Amino acid sequence: MNTVTQGKEKDIREDIAWAQINRDVLASLEQPRGTYWALFTMAFCMFLIGVACEAYQYDRGLGVSAMNNPDVWGLYIATFIFWIGMSHSGTLLSAILHIIHADWRKPIYRFAEAMTTFSLMTAGLFVAVHLGRVWQIYYALPYPNERWTWPNFQSPLLWDAMAIFTYLSSSILFLYVGAIPDFAICRDNATGWRKTFYEKLSLGWMGTDRQWRNFRVAYLVIACFLIPLAVSVHSIVASDFAMSQQPGWHITSFPPYFVAGALYSGCAAIITLFIMLRYTFRFEEYMTMPILDKTARLTFAIAMVWTYLNLIEYSSVWYGSDAVAKETLIQRATGPYAFWWWSMNFLGSVVPFTLIFKKLRANLTVMMIVSLLLNLGMWLERWMIVTPTFSHGYYPWTWDHTFFPSWVQWGIVFGSFGWFGMLFMLFCKLVPSVSMYEVKEMVFHRKLAKIHVREA
Amino acid sequence: MTVKRILGLFNDFDQASAALRDLREANLPYLNWDDVTIKSPIEHPDVESVLGVRSIPIRKYTLVGALLGGSLGFLGLATSQGNFFSQLKGGKPIIPLPPDFVLTYEMLILGGVYITVLGFLICAGLPHRIKSDLYDVAVSEDQVGVMVKANAHCIAEVRKIFEGHKVLSMQEEVVQ
Amino acid sequence: MSLEQTINDWSKIRQRHPLPGSHPDLKWAMAIDLDACTGCNACVVACYAENNLPVVGKEKFAAGQAMHWIRIERYWNEGDEASPQQGAQFLPMLCQQCEAAPCETVCPVGATNHTPDGLNSQVYNRCIGSRYCSANCPYKVRYFNWYNYPEQEKVWPEPLPMQLNPDLTVRTKGVMEKCTFCVQRLTDARNAARTEGRPIRDGEVTTACAQACPTSAITFGNLSDPHSAVAQKWRLQRVELEKDRQLKDIDGSHPGLRGYRILEDLRPYPSIMYLERVRDNQA
Repeated sequence: MNTVTQGKEKDIREDIAWAQINRDVLASLEQPRGTYWALFTMAFCMFLIGVACEAYQYDRGLGVSAMNNPDVWGLYIATFIFWIGMSHSGTLLSAILHIIHADWRKPIYRFAEAMTTFSLMTAGLFVAVHLGRVWQIYYALPYPNERWTWPNFQSPLLWDAMAIFTYLSSSILFLYVGAIPDFAICRDNATGWRKTFYEKLSLGWMGTDRQWRNFRVAYLVIACFLIPLAVSVHSIVASDFAMSQQPGWHITSFPPYFVAGALYSGCAAIITLFIMLRYTFRFEEYMTMPILDKTARLTFAIAMVWTYLNLIEYSSVWYGSDAVAKETLIQRATGPYAFWWWSMNFLGSVVPFTLIFKKLRANLTVMMIVSLLLNLGMWLERWMIVTPTFSHGYYPWTWDHTFFPSWVQWGIVFGSFGWFGMLFMLFCKLVPSVSMYEVKEMVFHRKLAKIHVREA
Repeated sequence: MTVKRILGLFNDFDQASAALRDLREANLPYLNWDDVTIKSPIEHPDVESVLGVRSIPIRKYTLVGALLGGSLGFLGLATSQGNFFSQLKGGKPIIPLPPDFVLTYEMLILGGVYITVLGFLICAGLPHRIKSDLYDVAVSEDQVGVMVKANAHCIAEVRKIFEGHKVLSMQEEVVQ
Repeated sequence: MSLEQTINDWSKIRQRHPLPGSHPDLKWAMAIDLDACTGCNACVVACYAENNLPVVGKEKFAAGQAMHWIRIERYWNEGDEASPQQGAQFLPMLCQQCEAAPCETVCPVGATNHTPDGLNSQVYNRCIGSRYCSANCPYKVRYFNWYNYPEQEKVWPEPLPMQLNPDLTVRTKGVMEKCTFCVQRLTDARNAARTEGRPIRDGEVTTACAQACPTSAITFGNLSDPHSAVAQKWRLQRVELEKDRQLKDIDGSHPGLRGYRILEDLRPYPSIMYLERVRDNQA
């Protein structure tokens, strides 16, 4: 583990040879060994558990999930929002930090973008799982039919569908376009089926100035589009709740609150994946401790924004005159979900204070545990938004029922993590998880800066 | 005269730029400056000062795409129910403005991104058949290539200029 | 679809709802007298029989997965808990057929809409079961088919399928359902009236619950017909469809009024007027 030397530790060494960068990253794409297969099988088994639970639910009906009237949305919607939320920091790192020229993002944004894409794909599973009649999900698509019916675009769920479709396809395109020069590198160093694979993917990229020129502009333009898109996607997901009338949901600050929560859980997930990739592929030169330090500080900042918006929600309800909303809030804190609600507040607002201490930020074990805890807190947050409102809504007849999910719901949630793991592991072996050309750029510009400093 | 292509590989951007500056000063006849390209592992930071300003038409594609997407969003999705068997929902007007705004916004971004990618592929000339062009795998690693297409006499001059600037290797071929 | 239809639809595009006069001919509404209600549950049973509702069994009922489109709720004043048999107030709660229903806007596929005769329609074969409508309903009167009751749960063993009402479907799993004001009866009556070229007479058609109520607590009819029983009741209580606060609740200047609508301040503009129970201690 690197120790802090005199002077500031550098995000990356300026004297790394470019050929070295190629070699180190391409080494991660080699034929996988036993540990990889073991992990992949584990992820696959997790996924199979989810599939089995869903098969049972599909056959028997949604009643096996222990949902009822009025508790009609359970872990499926909560986990759906969790996965969509996790996808936002990929965009934060790729697009926002790119526009402000924060080049410390360069070694880590590729896997963050991949995390975005795969969490969106995982979220899509939950849309299907939570529907009563999954086999007719295509009714929600705008296609011409002889009944002259069209989906109801007044519904926030459909805005969700459009927004998430746009976000998923744009993220995939952004990831792919940004990886074209890397695929060219892979193509030049591969043999056999891999060579054909990368040849197709790299589209004959040769690094001519014409290609680079257009690449730069295209990348910037897509990044500029992705930022308002990312903000709008989670705001629209928030409006599933904010546009309804239910107490505890009908809150104006929900869209920014959700976006802050999304950035928060995504940054925590980036820390988790950072530590795992750094260890597995020995990327210590690229995914350096100063970069982890910066990511942790960014996570802390977002955690404070989230905490603020959370407290704003509580105080505006507390001081407002909406009696039912206030009762719902009190019930969250003192009712059957009190333990989970307080855990969420503790994990989301108190645990991030460990990120203030430099010693803890530099300790990989601590960071791993903290990032997992933060994500647990964020998952609990989504659940605490969905279920307690049903247990104490407007209508007194619905009160005093306590709803907890059944094993079917837990199984499917568990399986989704397996699915995500499978996709991510496939990604690690097929696509370079560190962006080689961007790291070269980073090294090049820092070298230039160092030379100018010396000359000055 | 036969038209040939030559690719010279240099160790870094400084040497490649120096060679290009010499080439420009040599003022070779029948050498179209558009036929000079750089192939590099990363973008040349000052490529414009060396090669001159070249156009980037992508932004037009973006504008067209965004407008197309926005109109598709508004006319095709959000307001289309007004054309079909429209039914009252929840006391709201049949073509309500807030949902229409959301959808138009999303589709605008969708159109913008898709057509920008299409524009990028068209403007960058991808997909491209490498076999029909000069290329060396060292370009994707750490060497900078300069490629010139001209008649055989110019190519001989270019070769001399390259050799004067510590070129690492050269490839030449006749263009069909 | 024709040009005429398109023009017609576009002329309605900016019309908000409800407006006075939006249902000039036919608007189905109800008045429920809570003073007359004895909590006997006859309306519930009638609804089960008329609308092919599955009896889900003790276990599923306890799990909250019952299918009663109309339910009798019991409320007690504070202090009456010691003797629950006395003093319970009964409230029959069913779909309020709101004019500005919160459930209609949020269905992703448009399976629930507002009909020209003022009902909130539920289209079973369009529903994909997202349950957003139920999440948004303030009264929680929407019921989801959590299981495949007819085929897998076998709630109607032979020869019970013989007693099913052939005028409407038996719903499969994954579909949302709710009270429809016995729309199958209303459609029959409308067709009969149209064949004979006359408007629907008051009392010609009624819902199963109104029909079964032994104390005539439920009055059903056409609110747009000024001579119908239900319209007279609404008028007597000074309750208006398009207002979001009725005279009874605005101030205490009309102590004799009993008519109100539930959760009116959320402005769904429900079509059911409840007549407050006359309390013993007030008399």
